[in-house]
Amino acid sequence: MGRITLDKVRKAFGDVEVIPPLDLTIEEGEFVVFVGPSGCGKSTLLRLIAGLEDVSSGEIRIDGQNATDLPPAKRRLAMVFQSYALYPHMTVRKNIAFPLKMAGLDQAAQDKKVEGAASVLNLTDYLERRPGQLSGGQRQRVAIGRAIVREPAAFLFDEPLSNLDAALRVGMRMEISELHERLKTTMIYVTHDQVEAMTMADKIVVLRAGNIEQVGSPLELYRAPRNVFVAGFIGSPKMNLIDGEEAAKRNAHTIGIRPEHITPSPDAGTWEGTVGVAEHLGSDTFFHVHLPGREEPMTVRAGGEVSLHHGDKIFLTPDETQLHRFDAQGLRI
Amino acid sequence: MATQHSRAAARLMISPSVILLLGWMLIPLGLTLYFSFLRYNLLMPGANPFVGWENYSYFLSDPAFKAAIVNTLLLVVGVLVITVVGGTLLAILLDQAMWGQGIVRILVIAPFFVMPTVSALVWKNMFMNPVNGLFAHLAKFLGLPPFDFFAAAPLASIIGIVSWQWLPFATLILLTAMQSLDSERLEAAEMDGAGPLSRFWYMVLPHLSRAITVVILIQTIFLLSVFAEILVTTNGGPGNASTNLTYLVYAESLLRFDVGTGSAGGVVAIILANIVAIFLMRMIGKNLDA
Ligand SMILES: Nc1ncnc2c1ncn2[C@@H]1O[C@H](COP(=O)(O)OP(=O)(O)O)[C@@H](O)[C@H]1O
Ligand SMILES: [Mg+2]
Repeated sequence: MGRITLDKVRKAFGDVEVIPPLDLTIEEGEFVVFVGPSGCGKSTLLRLIAGLEDVSSGEIRIDGQNATDLPPAKRRLAMVFQSYALYPHMTVRKNIAFPLKMAGLDQAAQDKKVEGAASVLNLTDYLERRPGQLSGGQRQRVAIGRAIVREPAAFLFDEPLSNLDAALRVGMRMEISELHERLKTTMIYVTHDQVEAMTMADKIVVLRAGNIEQVGSPLELYRAPRNVFVAGFIGSPKMNLIDGEEAAKRNAHTIGIRPEHITPSPDAGTWEGTVGVAEHLGSDTFFHVHLPGREEPMTVRAGGEVSLHHGDKIFLTPDETQLHRFDAQGLRI
Repeated sequence: MATQHSRAAARLMISPSVILLLGWMLIPLGLTLYFSFLRYNLLMPGANPFVGWENYSYFLSDPAFKAAIVNTLLLVVGVLVITVVGGTLLAILLDQAMWGQGIVRILVIAPFFVMPTVSALVWKNMFMNPVNGLFAHLAKFLGLPPFDFFAAAPLASIIGIVSWQWLPFATLILLTAMQSLDSERLEAAEMDGAGPLSRFWYMVLPHLSRAITVVILIQTIFLLSVFAEILVTTNGGPGNASTNLTYLVYAESLLRFDVGTGSAGGVVAIILANIVAIFLMRMIGKNLDA
């Protein structure tokens, strides 16, 4: 239950090809995150899987069965929308019960399932309220409740946390991960936030302009990005990318080094620069270091208690074993 | 409007319009009330003595009064049903993306701009006329006897004409309401297993309920006083078959020249309209809250 296969799926709106032919397999029980910059076609891909958009060509299989022409309701998938898409004229109870009612369950069975979902999601006290009387996080939970009562083959989430404030977002992230651990149902989660992708995913699919750039576990992507785009997109703060002479010295077109793989030193090192802005996070401090002939500053991680000041001279030494090298096409060497 | 001072200023500023509106309303109302207690017939000039409730008992016991009440209700309810149902269906249709959408929308709205007298005359002479009307030609073409609309079904014909005029209004209001319906909500319902009919019943209709309430309230006010359409088509006949309350008041005061009874009829009409209004507000006005 919950294995989804995309076979040469392509989507065009008129003349604009938003998703070029694309192959992807999502294994049963996996938590897969589609991540990519805004407008790269993540939502479109999700809507194709949901059946809310028709594919232009290609095939979608759910549990081995061809679902390409099945209507959304027949695909046994549940979706949580970015806007939550709750039914404002119904109470929370009726919202959550709606898919059950449509499936023709009797009242007693509906109540039992709704109450079960409500207790899992801490919504029991709010069942008789309308969505308009709930906070953002509670609305989010109602939307999730409406999805889980259906016991779908897979859950689809489209940027579900982007309307919440930062603290709530972290909390909901944990709750969704918990939910996945408990239900063991396939989940496909769309986000433009690579932190969400890194913290939640079993498998990340990095998209750019409808193309899959790389598929892999968060650490695979972090340790061995297949190309410059993935290298720059995954990881926070971003990997430092260096072109030109320094890269040529190492037989590459571009080299990349993560902030934690650079050792700063006040008196000796490979590169010399001046200290710029510092971001103190408590446990870590990230320094922006300006190297001569480079427009973008390098980001360097140092311990929490470092006394470096704006304008100080500094030497940087990269850990050569942790260097990422890319060729002229941007592919990993 | 928070402070005492700004509230007083606000009252002062709106007082001219309030006083004007009150005068506008109270003076005719007072005069009508006054006339309704006089024997005041234009065919018998001379003294206009005070006669108490005589005009009222005369008006209320007139067999035409009962017919007029029934006709008024049938007219209002008939037109409301046709325009709300038709308007909802048209709004759904016009909300679909289709070729020539702009022109179709203007065409649908056009009847609203035709004045009632003109539209009633057009319907009477060009469509419903049993000899020359389009429907008569159509019937002949199909080999059926032509149907004499205003003789055989006068009230139904008037309901048809008035509905034609008010359908655009209902459509327009309901269309704007349709357009504010979040498409993700419909998609969510679709994924939840709701078919087209369920989506209409559980999503679209509740979303439209407020707009439908507005349509019903506004139209009722205007439909209680339909007059021109009756005057130019049936003159309230045959018999009293298409006489509504407004037309009856007109007939009393200006055909029978009995101003006193006409005024009494006017007062009765006001009371009835208010009863209907209170009733409506109670029944569906709660849709407007929140
Ligand atoms: N219904 C549509 N018609 C035309 N273009 C669309 C439609 N939906 C999305 N697009 C285009 O497809 C691209 C991808 O959109 P989307 O999947 O929403 O991106 P994302 O969710 O990754 O931000 C965008 O360039 C967008 O303009
Ligand atoms: Mg999106």
